[in-house]
Amino acid sequence: MTFYQKEINRIKGICYSNDGQSQTVIGTRSYIENNFDKKLNLDVLSHIRFTSKFHLLRLFKKYYGQTPKQYLIDKRIEQSKNYLKMGRSVSETCYSVGFETPSSFSTLFKSKTGLTPSEYQKSNFHKVNHNRI
Amino acid sequence: MKVRVLSIPVQNQDKALKFYTEILGFIKKLDIPLTEDNRWLTVVSKEQLDGPEVLLEPAPKDFEPAKIYQNALFNAGIPCVQFDVESVQAEYDRLTKLNVDFTVRPTDMGAARIAVFNDTCGNLIQIAQLI
Repeated sequence: MTFYQKEINRIKGICYSNDGQSQTVIGTRSYIENNFDKKLNLDVLSHIRFTSKFHLLRLFKKYYGQTPKQYLIDKRIEQSKNYLKMGRSVSETCYSVGFETPSSFSTLFKSKTGLTPSEYQKSNFHKVNHNRI
Repeated sequence: MKVRVLSIPVQNQDKALKFYTEILGFIKKLDIPLTEDNRWLTVVSKEQLDGPEVLLEPAPKDFEPAKIYQNALFNAGIPCVQFDVESVQAEYDRLTKLNVDFTVRPTDMGAARIAVFNDTCGNLIQIAQLI
């Protein structure tokens, strides 16, 4: 067994020996992946996994390195990039990925990507045409 | 600052280009001749053509400390880089059919699944997915 294989086993034993915990956070992430376009919050997620809000928050951060809310925002932003590339309007994209107002969507989008949704759409439109040339 | 290039040390650039394109499915991006047998050779993910380029750099061939470092990582089973995949199990199944050797079979680590394979160029590569 290599040093790395031994380290994998050691870390698994220290950090991930509780299978119930793993299933709780994996199930929560899976729920977010499949329902990111709906209204989600910690109350909903904890209710689904039959656990307390604060326990779920701690566990999720321990396993994924970010809170469920941060994960949800990243998921929505990634999906919105796909919709914008496909040519959907900014407001249509905003509601399709679960954000409630175009202004909060644009602010979050810019903070995550450095561009507003319209700027992002334009820059990708140019890239698509450049590649065609 | 932007992340544009990350490098993987390889012992033979021709062999590396073949493995990274024909087996792993990367696309050749830049191939610039430098000296007689060294090139600035980069590949990109076909799923992320605008993403960071992987530089297949021949340091272990010309620079002994690079070779020592590469060998030490390899002998300890430590991957030199990690790539994301949709499904570790599917990639493991695909690559083993192409005779790629895995030093770590698909293994769950909390909320991640990983596996490690030999790139035949002196390195171990880890693939990972969130589960």
